[in-house]
Amino acid sequence: MPRLQRVLIANRGEIAVRIIRTLRETGRTGIAIYSEPDRTALHVLMADEAYLVGPGPSSESYLNMERVLEVAKRVRADAIHPGYGFFAENEAFARACARAGIVFIGPTPETIAALGDKLAARTAALAAGVPVVPGSPGPVGSRDEVKRFGTEIGYPLMLKAAAGGGGKGMRVVRSDAELDAAWDLTRGEAKAAFGDERVFVERYIERPRHVEAQILADGSGRVVFLGERECSVQRRHQKLLEETPSPAFDAKTRAAFGEAACRVAKQVGYRSAGTVEFILDESRQFYFLEVNTRLQVEHPVTEMVTGLDLVAEQLRVAEGDELSFGDAPPEPRGWSMEARIIAEDPARNFLPSVGRIERVQFPQGPGVRIDSGIYRGYEVPVFYDSLLAKLVVWGADREQARRRLVRALDEFVLEGPRHNLAFHAWLALHPEFAAGRLSTRFLEEHWRPAELKPGAEAANAALLAAALHERAERQRVQVGGRDAPGASTASAWKWLGRERSRR
Amino acid sequence: MARARAEPPLKLWVTLEGREAEVTIHTDGDRLVVESDGRHIEADFVRLPDGEVYSLLIDGRSHVVRVSPAQEGLEVELRGMTIPVEVKHPLEKMLQAASGGRAASRGETVAAPMPGVVVAVRVKAGDAVKAGQAVIVVEAMKMQNELAVAHDGVVREVMVAERAAVSAGQALVRVAPASSGSSGGSA
Repeated sequence: MPRLQRVLIANRGEIAVRIIRTLRETGRTGIAIYSEPDRTALHVLMADEAYLVGPGPSSESYLNMERVLEVAKRVRADAIHPGYGFFAENEAFARACARAGIVFIGPTPETIAALGDKLAARTAALAAGVPVVPGSPGPVGSRDEVKRFGTEIGYPLMLKAAAGGGGKGMRVVRSDAELDAAWDLTRGEAKAAFGDERVFVERYIERPRHVEAQILADGSGRVVFLGERECSVQRRHQKLLEETPSPAFDAKTRAAFGEAACRVAKQVGYRSAGTVEFILDESRQFYFLEVNTRLQVEHPVTEMVTGLDLVAEQLRVAEGDELSFGDAPPEPRGWSMEARIIAEDPARNFLPSVGRIERVQFPQGPGVRIDSGIYRGYEVPVFYDSLLAKLVVWGADREQARRRLVRALDEFVLEGPRHNLAFHAWLALHPEFAAGRLSTRFLEEHWRPAELKPGAEAANAALLAAALHERAERQRVQVGGRDAPGASTASAWKWLGRERSRR
Repeated sequence: MARARAEPPLKLWVTLEGREAEVTIHTDGDRLVVESDGRHIEADFVRLPDGEVYSLLIDGRSHVVRVSPAQEGLEVELRGMTIPVEVKHPLEKMLQAASGGRAASRGETVAAPMPGVVVAVRVKAGDAVKAGQAVIVVEAMKMQNELAVAHDGVVREVMVAERAAVSAGQALVRVAPASSGSSGGSA
């Protein structure tokens, strides 16, 4: 297969930036697409070429299949890298690429189809002899059917959108009473997010860990396991912090786990990078969840311990080449953690936030990697997900990685939208986290917004800062010539104005 | 360089972490002295060339703080935390006392935190609501967000319908306080 010289990235934000970096390093042309509000997004500024695909809403731009393909053809792209989200796991898009003579960087459309539907994926795992969580054999048609299931195997149950992914369209139901609201919400979200309201149900494991296998397959039957990632710390089923290796694994568990993941991949003739997700119960039994047929948000932690560039490997496979390491994947070295820095307010139930990045200073120094799509003055748009940056650290062991994360979080300056830097610092310093005792219920069990109350020292600094602000205001009024014997008088009028406008 | 002369002290009422205190501020060149509740805090300060950002050295401990005006009062950001601070001048304090705690009886308004679409309205006018109860669900940034009331009360008005597109800050639900004429204490 000829070299893929011109690669279009059908994505935006930090992942588009990350892909552009590898394209640059391998001497290729990185072609960005963008929506109207993304004209000044970092991926557009960093790309070799960039083309408009439509207005802000994803459905009219990044998810406008005809438009994206039309641009790809017009600018003679050899290949399309979908990143994650958008078209990354869209069978129709992969097929349309093939029809247009453009290489889709990822698995075949058939594989995407077979694994994209969670029910089909379960079937494939069972066929490969990999255990799955007990659940409904197919979509459930009514709430009564779920209730029957609840009686049979008992609550709690998990409702899941058949077409879901990335934690969207999932809900835990603990009783018949909770089911009514959950049924409508889950189906509503599924319909809105995936255009498919089918929902299935399975047993909910009380304190599970979420552990996933990074695999890489060359498409000719060779599948390698590049270690696990533990992604147990989540909120609303969305990952917040990931690490590799998993503190719950020993060598024996890891070997069995890697073997199971590769069996699933071989079963479906997997090609390119992929992630096989499992949940681990308290006795370290793992159950297959699903396969993500794409590069994962948290792929950098695997890169940190293996020294591999997973995007470069994907490009090699797409070109019909062998994996860079042949048969022997590098032995993972040390420990890596990734904190997702998100525009949201941990104190207000993680409510998403938007706004201008007023000030940003990324941490630096040994063992730190930042993947981000922001810069100072950048306005975070409302249309897309709220991931601002990924802070990734490496350490010789878990403790060094954790301390490095704390240090890097402390160095990280980010002002403008609400964000979760202080939350991550709380998390990384939590004794249970430090001890590696994780589960997907970590937040539910340990997190309270009051945890972020500033200590006495921070409160003093805040008091002094406010005092200096008032002093600066007074000076401004005086310099402005408005006589203020009296600065407090001027300020009082300003305050009255503020008060009135609030009503 | 000649040392800047000391400025006259400034007196303020500051509410921080739910506590209001009278605060006196003196500056003398790059020294800042704050007295509050019998406490005496001294710091070396420099304003950095980057918005309203100060470097503070409090007893040698280094802090970088940024101050920005917020909807209510100020926000101070430091070490990834955002700390709300309310500052009142003595005159404001007097005016507030004269208006007799009207703020407490105003009730609350649940507003859209960002542009989005209303996907569910959980209450109607006249419903009693409890603090923390979700009253409306708004989908934004691909997530469904349940918006809750902060205090007990009675729904006075639901201002939007399901499927309505809403803008940031738009009022969605108005809630009257649970029982008027209860304790006049500040919130």
